[in-house]
Order: sequence, then C-alpha cells, then structure tokens
Amino acid sequence: MDRDRRQLLLMLLPYLVGLVALVLLPAVATMAMAFTESDLIATSRFVGLANFVELTRDPAVRAAVGNSLSYLAVSVPLRLVLAVGLALLLHRRARAAGTARVAVLLPGAVPELAYGLMWLWLLNPIQGPVNQLLLLGGEGGRTMFGTLPPQWLTDPEDARAGIVLMSLFTIGETFVIVLTARLALPPEAYELAELEGARAGQVLRRVTLPLLAPVLAVLVLRDTLMSLQASFVPTLVVTGGGPPPYATTYLSLVLYQDAFEYLRYGYAAAVAALMLGLTAVAVLIQWRLLRRWASSGAVGVEVRRPGN
Amino acid sequence: MTAGLRLRGVSLSRGAVTALRGIDLAVPRGELLVVLGPSGAGKSSLLRAIAGLDPVTAGTVAIGGRDVTAQRPGQRNVSMVFQNHSLLPHLTVADNIAFGDRIRGAGHRAAAARAAQAAATVGCQDLLARRPHQLSGGERQRVALARALVREPDVFLLDEPLANLDAELRLRMRTEIRAVHDRLGTTTVYVTHDQSEAMALGDRIAVLRDGRFEQVGTPDEVWRQPRTRHVAAFVGAPGMNLLPGDGPLTLPGGPATGVELGVRPEHVTLGGTPPDPLGEVERVEVLGEDALVHLTVGGHPLLARVPAAARPAPGDRVGIGVAAEHLHVFDTATGERVPQPTAAGRAG
Amino acid sequence: MKRTAALLSLLFLVTAAGCAGDAEPAADTVSLLVAGTPDELAAYRSLAAEYQKASPGATVNLIEASSAKDLMTRVSTSVAGNAAPDLFLINYRNYGQFAVKGALAPLTARLAASGSLHERDFYPQAMGAFRWGGEQMCLPQNISSLAVYYNRSLFQKYEVAEPVAGWHWNDLVATAQALTRDAGGRTVKAGDPETAGVPAAVHGLGVAPELIRLAPLIWSNGGDIVDDPAKPTRLTLDTPEARQVIQDFLDLTKVGVVPSDVEVEAQDYEARFAAGKLAMFVSSRRVTTAFRAITGFEWDVAPLPQYRSPANILHSDAYCMTKASSRQDAAWRFLEYALSDPGAALMARTGRTVPSRISVATSPAFLSPGTPPARSQIFLDTIPALRPVPTISTWPEIEDATGKVLENAFFHGDPLDKVIADLDAATRPVFARGTAAR
Repeated sequence: MDRDRRQLLLMLLPYLVGLVALVLLPAVATMAMAFTESDLIATSRFVGLANFVELTRDPAVRAAVGNSLSYLAVSVPLRLVLAVGLALLLHRRARAAGTARVAVLLPGAVPELAYGLMWLWLLNPIQGPVNQLLLLGGEGGRTMFGTLPPQWLTDPEDARAGIVLMSLFTIGETFVIVLTARLALPPEAYELAELEGARAGQVLRRVTLPLLAPVLAVLVLRDTLMSLQASFVPTLVVTGGGPPPYATTYLSLVLYQDAFEYLRYGYAAAVAALMLGLTAVAVLIQWRLLRRWASSGAVGVEVRRPGN
Repeated sequence: MTAGLRLRGVSLSRGAVTALRGIDLAVPRGELLVVLGPSGAGKSSLLRAIAGLDPVTAGTVAIGGRDVTAQRPGQRNVSMVFQNHSLLPHLTVADNIAFGDRIRGAGHRAAAARAAQAAATVGCQDLLARRPHQLSGGERQRVALARALVREPDVFLLDEPLANLDAELRLRMRTEIRAVHDRLGTTTVYVTHDQSEAMALGDRIAVLRDGRFEQVGTPDEVWRQPRTRHVAAFVGAPGMNLLPGDGPLTLPGGPATGVELGVRPEHVTLGGTPPDPLGEVERVEVLGEDALVHLTVGGHPLLARVPAAARPAPGDRVGIGVAAEHLHVFDTATGERVPQPTAAGRAG
Repeated sequence: MKRTAALLSLLFLVTAAGCAGDAEPAADTVSLLVAGTPDELAAYRSLAAEYQKASPGATVNLIEASSAKDLMTRVSTSVAGNAAPDLFLINYRNYGQFAVKGALAPLTARLAASGSLHERDFYPQAMGAFRWGGEQMCLPQNISSLAVYYNRSLFQKYEVAEPVAGWHWNDLVATAQALTRDAGGRTVKAGDPETAGVPAAVHGLGVAPELIRLAPLIWSNGGDIVDDPAKPTRLTLDTPEARQVIQDFLDLTKVGVVPSDVEVEAQDYEARFAAGKLAMFVSSRRVTTAFRAITGFEWDVAPLPQYRSPANILHSDAYCMTKASSRQDAAWRFLEYALSDPGAALMARTGRTVPSRISVATSPAFLSPGTPPARSQIFLDTIPALRPVPTISTWPEIEDATGKVLENAFFHGDPLDKVIADLDAATRPVFARGTAAR
C-alpha cells in the first residue's frame, strides 16, 4: 500500500512540479501583482485595493463584465446544443457521416489567428460572403426576409452576435466527446424504448439526454471555464473590441490591452483576478444547479452502469 | 389476454451474415418455449426478429393470429429482458418499471401504481425507490422482469436473462421465472445456451443451430430422442458420447458403416465382461453422488457417469456395457437420427 | 491594416520571444528592436546589412516587432527580464514612460563628443521631442507629419483645382464635395433630394476620427487640446476654437463626403484610396511606400488645410539606447552609421519616412524626383509649424479612449456637447494616472 502510494507520487511528480512551477506560482504571483502598480520597468509599488477600486469605476471593465457574462449565457448553451445535435445526427454509420464529422472537427483545428482572419473576411459587411449570402433573394440591399443585412462590425448587437457565431464553429472537441459518449451508450436502452413505442422526441428526452447528462454537465463546466478566454482572439482580430466604445470588449481583451498595450501589469492582474472570480461564481452556480437536479433525479450525475 | 406466436419461413441477414434461415415456429398461447443453442446460433436474432428490432428478410411473424411483420416494435406489444442493461441507470426502480406506461402517456400516479403492482409480482416491491446501481445482479433482473411484465405483453421475450448471475442465483431465479410464468400465463420465448436451464424451464425446447431449428420438442423428447447428433451432443450434462458405427461399440446387427452411435454417459455401465470391449480409465471426476469417468475405448474417448461409490481408478481397465435400447444411431452424412427397431439384447 | 498588425504582433510574440535572450554575443554585436510593416522591416534589414558591410566585424542583431504596441510590450518585458535590446526605435508619443522610469541611457554627452553626428544635423522639432530632463534621451530617425494624399487623376477628370498651400478647412470640404461622385460620375450631395439614396462610388475625403487628426486643426484655429502641454491634466476641447474644429470635423459625415462606418469596415481608407474610391486621404508619410505601388492613377500630396495659421502634428520615431545595455559603445557606433548621410538615405529611399537629418531630407533620396509624390517638399515646408502631442506616460491610453468616443460621434452624429463631455469623462482618470514625462 505504502509502496503503491510512493510509486503513484513518483509518477505524478513531473506533472506536479510543472503544475506548481508553471501554473500555481505564476497564478499566485499574478494575484499578488493585482495589489501593486507595476509596469515591469520600474520597481512595482504596493497600492492595496486601489486597482480593485478602479475596476469598479472603469467603463471598459464594466462593459466587459456585461459582455463576458452575456457571451457566457448565450454561447455556452448554444455551443452545447449544437454539439449535441450534431453528435446525435452523426453518430450513426451512414453515408458521408465520416466526412460530416471531419467537417465539424475541422474549424477547431484551424489556428485561432487564422480562424479570426477568416471571419474578418466572412463578416465583411459589404464584400463578405455571409452578407452576400443573406442578400440572395432579397432586393434593394435587403435580405430575403426584407431586413437589412447584419452590420457585423459596426453595429454593437450584430458584432456581439458575430462573436458568438464565430464560437459556434469551434465545437469540434465538445462534439467528439458527446459523440464518443453517445456511442458508448448501451444499445439495449434504445431497444427498450423502441419496444415501448417511444417516439424520437421521447427517446431524446427520456433516454439519450439523461444518459449523456454526466458528460454534458462536465462539458458545460469546461465550456464555462473556457468561455471567458475563448472570446479573446476573435475580438482582438475581428472587432478590436468595437464597435466603440466597448461593444465586444470582453474581460480577456481588457486584460490584454491593460497589460500589453498600456503596460499596466498590476491593473491587468486585477482584471485577471476578476475573471477568475467570475468564472468561479459561474461554475459554482452551475455546480449547485447540477447537484440539485441530480438529487431530484432529473440528471444522472451519479450514474454507474449496471456492472457484472 | 396473451396470444400465441407463429413464425413462417423467417430469414434474417445482416450484411453478409445470415442469422436465421427459414425458421418455422408455432408457440401456442401461454407456452414457455426455450430456444437453446450455442453462441452464434442465431438465438438473439430470433428474438429480435420477433420483437421487430431487426427487420426480417423473408417470412412472416404473427402474434395472436395477427401478422405483425410490417409493424414497428412498439406496435407489437411484446416486451423483452436483456442479459445486460435492461434498466435505465438514471431512473429509480419504480420509474424504470413505469417507463413504458409513461412513454405511452399514462399519468404519473397510475403508472406508479401499476409499477408497484408489477414489482410485487416478482417480489421486488421493497426496491422501488432505489437506483439500478444500488441493486445486485439478481435484483436488477428481477426488476427487469417487472418492467417487462407490467405491460401485459402478448409475447414475452427473454434473452439469456440469467447468464450474468452466479450459479446459485441462477437456479433460484429460473424457478421464480417459471413460477411467474405459471401465474401469468404469458406466451414466452426464453433464449439460453444453458441446456439445464432449458430442460428445467421449458414447456418445449427449440434447439437452434446455424440459424435453423434442429429439433423442437418437450425436454423429454429432446433428451430421449435427439433428432440430430448436434442436439444429442448439446443436450445433457455432459452431452451424448458419439462413436463411429464400426468402432468399439456396435449395434446388435454388427458393425455398421455410415452411421454414428450415440450413448449418454448415464447409460454406460462399467465392469462388464467380454465380449464387452475394454476401456482404459484416464481420469475420474467425482460430482458428489455421481462420478464422471473419462475412458479411452479402441482409441476413442468415452464418458461414463456412474455412482461415485462404484467408480474405477485411473489406469484401470474395465469392461464397457451399453444396453441396446440406449443406443442412438445418427447418419454420419446428414447428422440425422436413424430410427431403430426397438431391439433387445446387448451391444457388443 | 491595424488588425493585421496586431495579429502579426501576436505571432511574433509567440515565435520570437527567445530572440532577446541570445547567449553572450561579441562586443561589437548590437541588438536593435524595431517595429513596422514588412517593407519597413526589410529596410531595417538592409540598413543592418549595409552597416555590417561598412564596419567589418560588427553585427546587428535585428529583433522585429510588428506594431508599435508590440514593441512597447517587448521593451517593457525585456527590461523587466534583464534582456533588454541595446537599441530600440520608438515613437515619441510612447517613449515617455521609458524615460521617466530611467530605462534609457541619455545620449547628450555622446552626441557632444561625436565626430560624425552633431545636434545641428537634425531638425530641432524632432530633437526636442526626445529631450527629457535636459538630456537628449533618444536620437530621432524621422520627422513626419500629416498631409493630404490626393488622387490627381480624379481632380483632373472632374476639373477640380488641386490643393494649394495655405488652403482652408472649408476649401477641403468644398473640394471633397466636388469629388464625391456616384457610379455615373454625378456629384452626390447629402440632403439633396435628387441624389438621396444614391451610393457614392467615390468619396471626397477619408480621415480617421482620431484626436491626433483633430489636434493640428485645433492648434491652427488658435486652440489647444490640453490645459498644459508640459503637464496635462485634462482635455480642453470645450474652447470656442476647439469646438468649431470638432463641429466641422463631425459635420463631414452630414455633408456626406466621407465613407460610412460600414464602408470603412468593408475596406479601410488606405485600401479605398489605392482602389481609386477616395479622392483625398489625410495621413502621415507612412502610407507613401504602399501608394508607390499604385499604377491605376496619378497621385500626390498636399499640405494639411488650416484655419488661422499653419499647424501640423509631429510624428517622429527615434533610436533609444537602454540603460541596461552592456554594449553601449557598439550601439552608439551603429547609431552614428544609421543617422549618417548614407544610413539615413537608405531609410529615406523606402519613401516611408521623412528623414530627421536635414541634409538627407533635402536630398533626392527623400524628394525623389520622378517618383510620387511629386510634392514631397510639403513635408519639409510644414516642419516649422510642427507641434508634438503632450507627453504623458498614459498618452497611448488617451488616444485609444478618445478614438472610441470620436469614432462613435463621427459615424453616428452625436451632438457636440455630448462628444466633448464624453471625451473629457473618458480621459480624466487617465490623465490623473499619468506622469508628465518631460
């Protein structure tokens, strides 16, 4: 037993060393930096809570908190619904299913910057393919629905929608996980439902989703953790945080600008602390909801397969 | 009210694999038919064809006189218990049993009441609030029975429901399944690869091999009058000895070519005198009251089941006696039983 | 353009992070951190190559950043990491915070002792911008300013008089109106019922709604943008002089001579001008290199229009030496070459900069007879009227903050009082945080 533990520790050691040296220590240093004024050139100065007080007054931070939360509230569920939908559509062996799976995976394999540049072109309000497509069948510069085409880069709402739109195509990883989870579900569960005469909707609601629920719960938490950072490259590359003043300014962008453009590392660290706090709160809320659903039996978080 | 089941010329292929080849089967209302066969024989395919989970490639399936071949599984009013995963892990026992009723639109309360009743039928009324992972293997299958029975199906299909249970529990459960069947009288098709389970449970046994029925008959018929050498070898514990017709054992009429002689280990007597052939004892397994004696006779292996008290020792040479009425004759080419005139006398 | 640069800067951050930390190079190796577009970087590479050719044994280790902001990040992180480059090139609007933190090595004494470089060789306006605490902190490489690039072929086609020195802002607007045309070549006037809804194929003017575009006009009108250029605490855009200029500027959208925000997002000013869809474009010297590739029409530069008196805004980058550098002598030798006649001429030939060295600025290397723009002389004529922006450590933030307000106001027609109030509100705390840097 003791030797097993020692071996375990030994095998974990490289990872633990890396974790401490490359993640935990810098994180602690960052949190400490949040209480200083630091530009990395001159010696930093302890300023107490001044950075955090300024956070509450900074219009960019205020806008970014709202934007980040609304991104989280819209993008995370949409991404999950899309990934689950595609995984359930494509889990069967069918003609072109393999190709379709690859197509879902592919955007996630594009380097983020290149992906951003591509969307910059896609969302170009006049020459962009997205709006060109929307204008098909419409007349006089209107879409086929009679509306004006979205002004992705100049209208605040449209720009935010554009950022969410960009996030919807990088669901490859989530998709693969859901797909794998779906393939691992026992076929008997479906046959059982089929024998009872369950319709597709009932199968989805009463069999598939509850059985996938543990995996989906993990994915929601993971996506939430990542969403505050996921909006960074798109905003930096495509919208630049605009339309002005802060339509698509997310916390990650504020952090980047304060640290790397204005050399306010202390303040940027405070923004990082805020991001961490927001993420923690979001995860905590979700965790509580999941626990509640689990104990009420709606979601099988504690599922273990009937073993043999 | 339950109804009978009728299959006519049912074939089923999946891709290049043919699982069923022209199955004809009639299961009268209320019968418990056991489908027995080695793995890969097509047993599960047969159940899936009856349930409609796999579409048949030829033939018809009728339940209670109504042709259901074109109907979807949900319309056939059949229910099924699988070897594994017969329960949904996220639902309680009560919700699992009520699952079908709820699917079909029953109210929560009505479904729960029926579930409780069904649970009582199989003796799992105390488990209603538990989740599947909190149940033992036996409890799980008991709940699965309740889930399948609550629907009052026309045909009840069980696919090796006891295969994952330990021996003792298996014995107990099969008695219970039989008791439940006797109480409810549901037409049942029960698939197993365990011949003793088949013998114990079935009103009739259908021996399946390679997608075809080799024999359909009562346990007694199947045991006493196996229609093919495969049935003979498969049914019984252990199965029948099979020796060439011109080997150490012969028919009363003398050595015969083109046939195989079968004799059950229970019917081999040891300690005979010439002209009985001599066999050499290789190994002896004591099974309590009886002993299983592995012999070699004229270069052929032979099993004998004798009272343990009268068992020989390894290395002994003993005379082998078989009563002529216990000799089964099978055509070597077709494997089919060759009817014998009831002859008296001794083999030798 | 800006975004591409930001993007490239990120790429560089990832790929070139290790550049500064090379193992102990030879004593006459100099590391130089520069930022710029590919053609600029190419010019620095050839400058380094020429220097190595001219001084056998010397090596220039060029560290390439892609944007000014990227360069600032790199300077600050490398100073913090004790791996500062020996030299870096930086705009005077951004150098203040490095000077105030004592990260730079003053060059006054070296300049005085130099046999080849003298203070009088350079335009004093550029030198002054890099003087801090009585010391010459950096040596200017260029002295650019705003000009009006114009599509000469369009002026001739529509028989519009070309801009002349001393022209008024109102002349610019009138000229822009005369050149704003639809696809059929007819003038498009905002508010004119006859041409309502007709999209302009050519816009008369392109000018980014930025504080550094407004500043020279406000100065020209006798106003100022801050209360005290030496120690600014707030914007002073509420003076009558500034209000008039801002109003005129915001009216450009109403007059309909500038492309809309959507049009600019679809194709930026520079690309629009190069595509012949913009008759005039207010920019610094930096677009010249790109515009020299234009083949479809003739173009030239004209002076920035004025209100009461000539005024223009200084754009200047300088070579700064880091205090942490262990090879300051070698770095100075490189500077002596880079700012000498041959070195400065090499950079001038790229077209991108107006040389800070008077002898090169007035030579064909810059004036480039036969190569557009023909009127390069206007960049030199405006030098006496050049003023720097206030130097404060938080100036980059002030530019960003005002840019956001101005962009909204410019494209969406916010009322003047609100714009001025918004600008003030957005910048007050940033001024308060800043340190006066000179």
